[in-house]
Amino acid sequence: MGVWDVIRKWSLKESDYQIIDHQAIREITLGASILATGGGGDPEIGLLWTYKVLNEGKPIIMVDPMKIPDDVLVASMACLGAALVLTEKPPNENVLNNAIAKLEAYLGSQLQATIPIECGGVNSPVAYAAAGELGVPVIDVDGMNRAFPELQMTSWVTHGVHASPTVSADDRGNITVVDTGQDDLLAETICRRVAMAYGGISWIATYPMRGKQVKETSILYSQSIAWAVGKAVWEARTKHLDPVMQAMQSLKEKRNVNSFRAFKGKIVDIHREFGGETAKGFTLGKITMEGIDEYKGSIATLDFQNEWLNLLIDGRVRCMPPDLIAILDSETGEPIRTDIMKYGYRGTTILIPAHERMRTERGIQIFGPRHFGYDLDYQPVEELCADL
Amino acid sequence: MDSKIKINQLRVGFDVGGTFTDGVLVSGTEVLAKTKVLTATDVTGGIIAALDQLLAISKVNKEQISMVSLGTTHTTNAIIERRNLNKVGIFRLGAPATTAIPPLTGWPDDLIEVIGGKENVFIVRGGSEYDGRDIVPLDEKAIREACQHIKGKVDAVAITGVFSPIIPDHEERTAQIVKEELGEDVHITLSNRIASISILERENSTILNASVINVMRRAVNSLKKAVTDRGINTRLFIVQNDGSIMAADYAVDYPIFTMASGPAASVRGAVFLSGIENGVVVDIGGTSTDVGYIVKGFPRESSITVTIGGVKTNIRCPDLLSIALGGGTIIKHKNNHVYALGPESVGYNLVRLAKSFGGPILTAHDIGVAVGRLREKLEVFNTDYVVDRQKIRDLPSDLVKGAEALIKETLETAIDKMKTTAEAVPAIFVGGGALVVPREGLHGVSEVILPKHFEVGGAIGATIAEIGAYAEGVFDLEKEDRQDSINWTVEQAKDNAVLAGAIRSTVEVIDIEEIPFTYMPGKREKIRVRVKGKIFQEEN
Repeated sequence: MGVWDVIRKWSLKESDYQIIDHQAIREITLGASILATGGGGDPEIGLLWTYKVLNEGKPIIMVDPMKIPDDVLVASMACLGAALVLTEKPPNENVLNNAIAKLEAYLGSQLQATIPIECGGVNSPVAYAAAGELGVPVIDVDGMNRAFPELQMTSWVTHGVHASPTVSADDRGNITVVDTGQDDLLAETICRRVAMAYGGISWIATYPMRGKQVKETSILYSQSIAWAVGKAVWEARTKHLDPVMQAMQSLKEKRNVNSFRAFKGKIVDIHREFGGETAKGFTLGKITMEGIDEYKGSIATLDFQNEWLNLLIDGRVRCMPPDLIAILDSETGEPIRTDIMKYGYRGTTILIPAHERMRTERGIQIFGPRHFGYDLDYQPVEELCADL
Repeated sequence: MDSKIKINQLRVGFDVGGTFTDGVLVSGTEVLAKTKVLTATDVTGGIIAALDQLLAISKVNKEQISMVSLGTTHTTNAIIERRNLNKVGIFRLGAPATTAIPPLTGWPDDLIEVIGGKENVFIVRGGSEYDGRDIVPLDEKAIREACQHIKGKVDAVAITGVFSPIIPDHEERTAQIVKEELGEDVHITLSNRIASISILERENSTILNASVINVMRRAVNSLKKAVTDRGINTRLFIVQNDGSIMAADYAVDYPIFTMASGPAASVRGAVFLSGIENGVVVDIGGTSTDVGYIVKGFPRESSITVTIGGVKTNIRCPDLLSIALGGGTIIKHKNNHVYALGPESVGYNLVRLAKSFGGPILTAHDIGVAVGRLREKLEVFNTDYVVDRQKIRDLPSDLVKGAEALIKETLETAIDKMKTTAEAVPAIFVGGGALVVPREGLHGVSEVILPKHFEVGGAIGATIAEIGAYAEGVFDLEKEDRQDSINWTVEQAKDNAVLAGAIRSTVEVIDIEEIPFTYMPGKREKIRVRVKGKIFQEEN
């Protein structure tokens, strides 16, 4: 069965889906990298994989989430592990098909679509490539509309859907089924250990759920939001417009939220530490940026745990998780990532309110400031930046 | 002059640029002869012409010449023009992993065709995990079978294994098998000698290297012959991407390391001429200016991928910011208001088209003349710096002021972008266009140094008899001692320097970099060591 069979079976109209071509996936991935809040990894591998799928004539279709049947089984497909290992060891094209087959066998039901897990350079295009290899559509949703470092940090969990069962596969055909019931933190811990045992990265089929749950718990139209941001920045590049302004404008149009242009500066200090979080396996640290142009004389500091977490400007807190921080190259709009930033990088910092489904009380518990070790109560970026 | 560099032997250096091939003959830091000849279509011919001029001007005793060294565009040109490339057999050791993105993905079709097409590509079971385990055992039988397919069809073989920069065993074993099956005549490039982690870019770099082996071999052989024919009995060296040099015979195996040799040699020349080891180098040519940053005498390396002939690579290159500002850059203006610098340049047509030479176009060169900065003819140029003084006098002062301000601002922004500290740093100006741009009161610059012989800085850079090399490894610092890990990497780097022509006792560490792995538990990190060594014993 191919993706068109699924579209026909669901009786979708042409306005209910979009065909993803090379340029579309470039734009979606660019937008997703911006929304990835400094994390999400290098887009190169995922993009090349998607191009290969498209070049082989395998169609990739993105579907409106409100148009899917309530009873269909869907799941997320993603890469979990060390981003650096992925740049050295791209996947076998069947690795996610194997994971899905095992998940289907475990659940006794057939998967009919995929849902991207997050917005990020790796997992956004990977979701499309995997859907193309499998011959199923991508649903226009995800679980974050940003990137986060851990498996359980999704709107799905905060709305009562669980990561279990998760199937973790490697290129050699090894399969591990992780079923921890409602304990999503334990699923994350086990999955990360499995990835290490495999050799640094794993390929997972996770968050199996039904169409109804997708509609009730996902970040709806997350893919379209990323696409709009990417398209805006792409256009800014070709038409020599201000990419930062274009990105903010696209968020206003697509999500009806105001983003904040908070700072422009260059990185003058990077402090990376392994710290006490060794066992958790994340890069932690802090950067200092010195203001340029209209921000001359100001100092910004940002903490990071793979993603940017917290922004202070001249000692005042301006943004805390789960709200989004993006540092964009002022000329190209390319996001500056925590894994490749270096001294002297220049960029404009924009702050974006997290999606409302990420801001529930349960959400603030799981991925708010206190989860990341700050003795701070969550305040939305709109309040923290009311004066900007 | 830099007290660390005392090389009294006679040395000859060349820098092959797009327009000119520069040559110098130096003793110690004294320039005995310098020349600029137009770069010939036959690059080697241009170098030989420059050599003959140097010998004629200097009249030195040829027997005393102790090294000839060049920065060259032979290999870059061959790849860009798809000319004289080898047919390459391509092995990737990584299946069942990596198959989603096969070798040559993203390559231009015409380049794939000239190196022999996709039928010489094999993804074989093998490769390593980051921690040293095999992904799966190496499939030796598949390698032998593949060799039978490509026998007689390829001139060179490129072998890339997953995680080979950390564990080269599968690549080494594959090379052995290929040699057994195809004989010694087929050249083999191993990816672990070429570049670092990131398999697709490293594989691309390895394949490109294999494709230009014969181009480099021919260039080295004909230059060796030319030198010998002129009664010079000496060693030949090639400039590599960090501006240091490597023995020509070593360069034949690693032509990809010469891709950025031109700009890198200019940076090194600037250091040599000025004695400044930390600061900004501004290399001003006819169409563009390259701004580089020097740390401990070497150009800072770029951390981004470098595209050659349409192919993404991860070879180490200097971190250079190229801006459209050179002597021939066109000043765009309307009603005496300047609205843009370039990006177009009149290039070598300067002497026909620019106002200073009676032409119709206002260029950066003319502004340099108008404000009185350009006052003398450089001996390496045939034409005087100004011919039509009236045309310069007639320029409205607002126009000159506006252009001067924009040139200064453009230069200041470029310098600031390359700096890593807020403090003012010294800037060394080199290149044929160095006199064109302002040197006074530049923001963020403590002083501008315009060294003697600045116009042939690249060729002088080629004469610095220093070998550069590096090595890297990945370590788990929870299991391995940090200092032992660093020491091991230092020894590997020193071995590489000796292979490239350095005397072991002279090799010293330039820097040690530690890069932690993200998204991975434990204290895993990459350690990278750069070293430099000399080709002559230290003199007293």
